Amino acid sequence: MPPRLVVENLRSYFFTRSGLVKAVDDVSFTINSGETLALVGESGCGKSMTALSLLRLLPEPGRVVGGEIRLDDRDLLHLPDLEMRRIRGNQISMIFQEPMTSLNPVLQIGEQIAEVLRLHKGSTSPQALEQAADLLTQVGISDPGRRLRDYPHQLSGGQRQRVMIAIALACDPKLLIADEPTTALDVTIQAQIMDLLQKLKEERQMTTLLITHDLGVVASNADRLAVMYAGQIVETGSVVQLFENPLHPYTQGLLNCIPRPGHKGLLPTIPGQLPSLREHHDGCLFIDRCDAPSPPCGHEQMQLKEHKPGHWVRCWRY
Amino acid sequence: MPLLQIENLRKSFRTSSTLGGSGARLVAVNDVSFTLEQGETLGLVGESGCGKSTTGKLIMQLQKADQGRVLFNDTDLTTLSARQMRPFRRQIQMIFQDPFSSLNPRMTVSSILSEPLIIHKLVPARQIRDRVIELLEKVGLTAEHEQRYSHEFSGGQRQRIGIARALAVEPQLIIADEPVSALDLSVQAQILNLLQELQQQHNLSYLFIAHDLAVIEHVSDRIAVMYLGNIVELTDAETLYKNPRHPYTEALLNAVPVADPDHPRPAPLSGEIPSPVNPPSGCYFHPRCPYADQLCREHSPPLTDSGDKHLVACHHSEQVGQYLIRRR
Ligand SMILES: Nc1ncnc2c1ncn2[C@@H]1O[C@H](COP(=O)(O)OP(=O)(O)OP(=O)(O)O)[C@@H](O)[C@H]1O
Ligand SMILES: Nc1ncnc2c1ncn2[C@@H]1O[C@H](COP(=O)(O)OP(=O)(O)OP(=O)(O)O)[C@@H](O)[C@H]1O
Ligand SMILES: [Mg+2]
Ligand SMILES: [Mg+2]
Repeated sequence: MPPRLVVENLRSYFFTRSGLVKAVDDVSFTINSGETLALVGESGCGKSMTALSLLRLLPEPGRVVGGEIRLDDRDLLHLPDLEMRRIRGNQISMIFQEPMTSLNPVLQIGEQIAEVLRLHKGSTSPQALEQAADLLTQVGISDPGRRLRDYPHQLSGGQRQRVMIAIALACDPKLLIADEPTTALDVTIQAQIMDLLQKLKEERQMTTLLITHDLGVVASNADRLAVMYAGQIVETGSVVQLFENPLHPYTQGLLNCIPRPGHKGLLPTIPGQLPSLREHHDGCLFIDRCDAPSPPCGHEQMQLKEHKPGHWVRCWRY
Repeated sequence: MPLLQIENLRKSFRTSSTLGGSGARLVAVNDVSFTLEQGETLGLVGESGCGKSTTGKLIMQLQKADQGRVLFNDTDLTTLSARQMRPFRRQIQMIFQDPFSSLNPRMTVSSILSEPLIIHKLVPARQIRDRVIELLEKVGLTAEHEQRYSHEFSGGQRQRIGIARALAVEPQLIIADEPVSALDLSVQAQILNLLQELQQQHNLSYLFIAHDLAVIEHVSDRIAVMYLGNIVELTDAETLYKNPRHPYTEALLNAVPVADPDHPRPAPLSGEIPSPVNPPSGCYFHPRCPYADQLCREHSPPLTDSGDKHLVACHHSEQVGQYLIRRR
């Protein structure tokens, strides 16, 4: 079966007052139907902008400048706006990283969930509110009848995040893009939400792009993993392949940062920081932080290369 | 004398009415007391919606408590006027859980960070820009970002701007509400190392709210566990992880996902999530508790010292631990 989602050589740039910012600069991956691909990478490396590009919701002054995005063989970047709008919310939905960017502060949350149900499932109003209450229960919000009438500011951070999850699931998406969906949740509620996503995956073949920095969540929920650095995918493979045999020095460094219980004192880090996304770089973007750069690293960009079946890496060592 | 002493804090909100019904009161913080010493970090964990952020805002006087006292260096902040409160606004800083709503969208990062320096006259005018860049670099950003607006950043970058803003005024106490929740492990480690260094240099105190139990274990001297508006357990960090005495703490520790694909998926806590409008009878945790009996259904256990300053609110604390999954 062909993959459900194919992303090829995606590039998304910001044309700002003070110059170009290359937020996404050559991202390729595929996700099969019913599969969960986790996307991890350093803060600011372009994960959210990749996700927003898929939905064609990149904020101004950002633009997709190259590449291809195909959902079930439909070319999303060249669909008419109207059709894209129909796909958003009907087939693809997104859990945004920051709930307040997507919740309407002056609408009761019941209305916000019911609106999706009416639009995409044709539910009548009373039906929609009942279904909305049921969704709230599924995401672990108590007293749903009363909560439907709350405004976003009356909710805790984690409750807001769960309302957004309820909205994203309301339309029964084929593809769910979940951008840090559990950052505001304690671990027991997080486990409940991840179980819910797992159930949708098993029962309805839901396909998921899961952006998260929590490697525990990755290990227990994802099938495959893509690691991003400075706008590029630097390594991808099955979760087991990457955890057991990380190849790229960034992936190695990241796994080395997993905290060990009982450890006191300073935590391990990857010294240095992301390179500027403004300047043009000839060579490897990780070179300044790499412990063993070799001669070609400074002047030539490496492409993703298949090292073992299904395990791809962008590094001259391999 | 502790730097901060909270006594019997309580906060309730009027709720939305149900269809055809009437509004009621939601108790967000029921009866919370604790102390925080100078140079100490108290971790605060608990179920989403249990009242952690509200507790932080009550200390900051961003919300008025229904009842209780907040003693900072022996001054009861709840009795102060807005003007009297002003000097304390510098000494106590909050890193907000939601950086997107807490940063002014019409200000560049450089004005967000220089404003407090100017208001509190912390550095001479000529040195403000240098100080701003120094702050940006401390949190892993650069001068390149100085003229951007907050919406032009990634989620984790915005979170770090909130941290830089809190550090700008050199406070004595920082209430950090999920300060590293949006950060990948290596940047998170850089920030936690920075907070730890600053603590050693300036004897800073932190009330550190987080759901990540590895982070909490690493930063905290003592940890308070909250459930539905109350503290249910409070002890030093090491003891809490080795020897939890409250069944909710035990459930939390068991639900931590392990960064190892061979490890089984963590199980959620069974039972219905209680409502803060109509809390269960007796012990609030009893409907989800494997140790619960008649006593628990009828009587709410007080928070008591079970020895060695290990505070716990459970009738059966000596039995707790049976279900703990030991990983170390
Ligand atoms: N409007 C904008 N103008 C200029 N640069 C921007 C703008 N929005 C985002 N960026 C930059 O694009 C890069 C990618 O941002 P993105 O939000 O995709 O990061 P991320 O990987 O999701 O990070 P995080 O883990 O912190 O959420 C960042 O370095 C960010 O500063
Ligand atoms: N302004 C408000 N009006 C009405 N109810 C509120 C308000 N602020 C908070 N609440 C309620 O108080 C309870 C506690 O909220 P709080 O934000 O303190 O939780 P929290 O422990 O920080 O949760 P999270 O981990 O999800 O951020 C929640 O049930 C919430 O709905
Ligand atoms: Mg992001
Ligand atoms: Mg909170």
